[in-house]
Amino acid sequence: MVHITINGKVVKATEGEMLLTVIKREGIDIPALCHHEAIEPTGNCRLCMVEITRAEWEGWKKHVTSCLYPVEDGLIVNTHTPEVIEIRKTILDLQLANCPNSEVIQKMAEEYGIYKTSYETVPEGDNCIMCYACTRICEVLGKSAISAVMRGHKKVIAPPFGEEPPDCIGCLACAQICPTNVIPWTDKDGTRTIWNKKFDLITCKECGKTIITKDFADYLMEQRDIPKEYFELCDDCKRMQTARKMGEIVTRAQEATL
Amino acid sequence: MTQQDMTKLGDIFDHYPADSGSLIGVLQDIQREFHYLPREAMAKTAEVLGVPLSKVYSVATFYNAFSLTPRGDTIIRVCKGTACHIKGADLLLDQLESGLGIKPGETTADLKYTLEVVNCVGACAMAPVMIVNNKYYGNVACNRALKLVKKD
Amino acid sequence: MHIDSIEKLSQWQTECRAKQTAQKRKVLVCLGPGCLAGGSDEILEEFKRIIAEKKLADITVDSIKKTGCHGFCARGPLVVIEPEGIFYSKVKKANVAEIIETTLEKGELVEKLLYKDPESDKKYTDYKEIPFYARQKRISLRNVGQIDPDEIEEYVARGGYAALAKVLAEMKPQEVIDEVSQSGLRGRGGGGFPTGRKWATCAKVEADIRYVLCNGDEGDPGAFMDRCIMEGDPHSVLEGMIICAYAVGSREGYVYVREEYPLAVINMQKAIDAAHEHGLLGENIMGTGFSYDIKVSRGGGAFVCGESSALMRSVGGEIGEPRAKYVRSVVKGLHDQPTVLNNVETYATVPVIMEKGADWFKKIGTPKSPGTKAFSLAGKVCNTGLIEVPMGISLRDIIYDIGGGIPDGREFKAVQTGGPSGGCLPADKLDLPVDFDSLTEAGSMMGSGGMIVMDDRTCAVDVARYFLNFLVEESCGKCVPCREGLYQLHHLCVKICEGKASEDDLALMERLSKVIQTASLCGLGQSGPNPFVSTVRYFRDEYLAHIKDKKCPAGVCRELITYTINDKCTGCLACIKVCPVDAITGEKKKLHVIDQDACTRCGSCYAVCNFDAVDIV
Repeated sequence: MVHITINGKVVKATEGEMLLTVIKREGIDIPALCHHEAIEPTGNCRLCMVEITRAEWEGWKKHVTSCLYPVEDGLIVNTHTPEVIEIRKTILDLQLANCPNSEVIQKMAEEYGIYKTSYETVPEGDNCIMCYACTRICEVLGKSAISAVMRGHKKVIAPPFGEEPPDCIGCLACAQICPTNVIPWTDKDGTRTIWNKKFDLITCKECGKTIITKDFADYLMEQRDIPKEYFELCDDCKRMQTARKMGEIVTRAQEATL
Repeated sequence: MTQQDMTKLGDIFDHYPADSGSLIGVLQDIQREFHYLPREAMAKTAEVLGVPLSKVYSVATFYNAFSLTPRGDTIIRVCKGTACHIKGADLLLDQLESGLGIKPGETTADLKYTLEVVNCVGACAMAPVMIVNNKYYGNVACNRALKLVKKD
Repeated sequence: MHIDSIEKLSQWQTECRAKQTAQKRKVLVCLGPGCLAGGSDEILEEFKRIIAEKKLADITVDSIKKTGCHGFCARGPLVVIEPEGIFYSKVKKANVAEIIETTLEKGELVEKLLYKDPESDKKYTDYKEIPFYARQKRISLRNVGQIDPDEIEEYVARGGYAALAKVLAEMKPQEVIDEVSQSGLRGRGGGGFPTGRKWATCAKVEADIRYVLCNGDEGDPGAFMDRCIMEGDPHSVLEGMIICAYAVGSREGYVYVREEYPLAVINMQKAIDAAHEHGLLGENIMGTGFSYDIKVSRGGGAFVCGESSALMRSVGGEIGEPRAKYVRSVVKGLHDQPTVLNNVETYATVPVIMEKGADWFKKIGTPKSPGTKAFSLAGKVCNTGLIEVPMGISLRDIIYDIGGGIPDGREFKAVQTGGPSGGCLPADKLDLPVDFDSLTEAGSMMGSGGMIVMDDRTCAVDVARYFLNFLVEESCGKCVPCREGLYQLHHLCVKICEGKASEDDLALMERLSKVIQTASLCGLGQSGPNPFVSTVRYFRDEYLAHIKDKKCPAGVCRELITYTINDKCTGCLACIKVCPVDAITGEKKKLHVIDQDACTRCGSCYAVCNFDAVDIV
């Protein structure tokens, strides 16, 4: 158990836990676009930067990304100094130039008083903020079907050679984790399309709802030893089936006691 | 890739431990052997080293050393280091671009020449520097650049 | 000879020295990058060919030696005849026969190849007396240009591996760390971090595996010191690394060599193989029971891989994206193990410190920056080349005494140090001492050792634009402030060069620079705005001229200048032949005329005109 000071208030924290976790727990709202519980933090977006200092530093301070900074006893944190605000504003301003049509970025920028970018809109800008959440979650799942390709300003998230990624199983984790919703996908007529690759869908035997792609099911069966029958019913119908079985058991028990 | 090419590829793999740490070294040897990274070679590399194809592609597109398209028989590298810049590397490029009809990063249609602009090659005292197929030329006057390329 | 004991090394050293002394005469042909670009490899072959035919008494083909960079690149190709130190400069293949006949056979000098001081007209025989060399003190470069890097025996003859033997025989690991700490040696790669402290921190971490790595990435454009050490004296680097490995307790390490240095890769590998062969590297070094091995790891071509965490990712076969460094790599580095990463020049200096002692080292240089520093002097300076000087020497002494001043009668404008992370210092800063701290205070930094001199025909805004363009291309792209921020900063700088910017743009650039410096993930981004910040500090007027007057005072920025031909034109056709867009018309012996609509203002005509007939307006 350690004690740190955030915006003048002393709070408790577990040694080694990330500063952002503590800040959020205290109900302080700071942006953190590339952060997600399912993946390791990488500090790409820089929005969660805060000012830190220590008593023994005699006024010297530095700025760190709170998602990656492990707390130590005696840390003094300030989350909304003018310098920190300037950093956030500039980053959002730059993102706005690169992602002019992203509603998420527009909204965040407006919260910081920016309605129009101060910079020249990047001609080939799309709405990807390069947070890497998609590639990271794909790696966590063990597939690494997509990756960050090229370098610097030309960097994009793409499948190998810009074609159908051979390792993709259509699980949608990348699309779902994306903070700016820029990975398109469709489910239509029993087929899912994502990254220009088509997948056969398995649908519920009872209600016909989409459960999963066949490739993802095969992957889970292989990796996690899950039986094939698990994918025959959707979660709702599985619950109904379990409830029915429970009902039958209760009825039989009642009949037995009578 | 021909059977002979696949054999050469196998020889390259034999030189390295079959793990992810060998990726850059393997790709460099492939680049040197084939003058670019053929797709098949990249796929085979992923298989042999146990690395996802997306990672091989990511590495191949990150570093300057690698080209994913075939390059010319003669590779011309104009150094764009600081000393070369202030001593007129741009003038060399102007001559080469207009004389060969290609821009840096491009190859002539007949696959004879590839023009590249490269990071400092460490011959700064002889700026501006031009390398034609591993032969270094220093203090290159702009009106000599094209002649030096064509004489080889 | 396989060295399986400390005593055997002594024995071997005696034998190697005897062999060197037995060779009465030696011809050293410099194969450094500058001389190589001038054709010195052909000169070497020509010497060998003629000597093989002639069968002279005290010279055989073995006496003709290739060496690493001798240093005076501006005068290359260089040939030095030992033992006298006779220095021949600007040698051509056609001169070789005459050198052999006149100097080697008759013992006389070839006058026309001797170096003549441009101011005093004095001719020099012994290179050590030439001002370019006289003011230098070569410690890390002690063997570069003196030995054949492929011959371990020459390294041993000059004392190589004796420091390692002393360390293994007489010192405990902690004592080695103490000695390095006491010497005050600071990292020569640019950071200037105290080397002893780095080693001590790594040694203290509890771990079974530790790595000792060498940073041979030398990405700063304009720097080639590390290249010359790796190519010209690779064993000095290995010896330094082995000493470090012993001090911190490492068994495994890598020399990371950048992709653009293929010869350095080859020479480091040859040195490693030779060291293995003689029991100086690998298992049971010199029979002492200490084991440490080194492999060469080749970079893929990325400036960012000079950054320590990016380098370590690259060694692991990954893209060179740095990671945020709240846990230092001495604690968690390569494969998450404690790792020491030091620069080539730092390692090359270590054996000398161990041999001569920390006190000896501290007497050289300044109290806070002891020792010497190697620099690659390039750009608009007469004596371009590779030098090593005691810390504390002034910029003026380097540029004028050693460098010979500015050529072509032009004026000094600025000196750029520290590569893309550094800055430009103007004339009134020439008396600053060169050390880690003084240059940083003035807004630049000493950096890895690249020193580019600029004259009045260099535009400060263009220099900023050049470096920003470089950094935009080399940014790994991971974090927003660097990837997007430097992109926009560069874009605005281009606007200034094109005369399309406003003073508001300049103010925006200054605000943006502060954020990029604070918020970037790694050193590349954090120091990225430096080229702009330092030039705006010292050359603000030049920026304002571009913005308000739409003029480029130095006559460089293409959008803001015009080339015209004046009446000094002799009609020689040179400019017509060189114009890449055929914008010049004229007949032989008649005034040539530039079509301003077609002209791209490249400056080729100005560069080739021998009659001062092209004006820049």
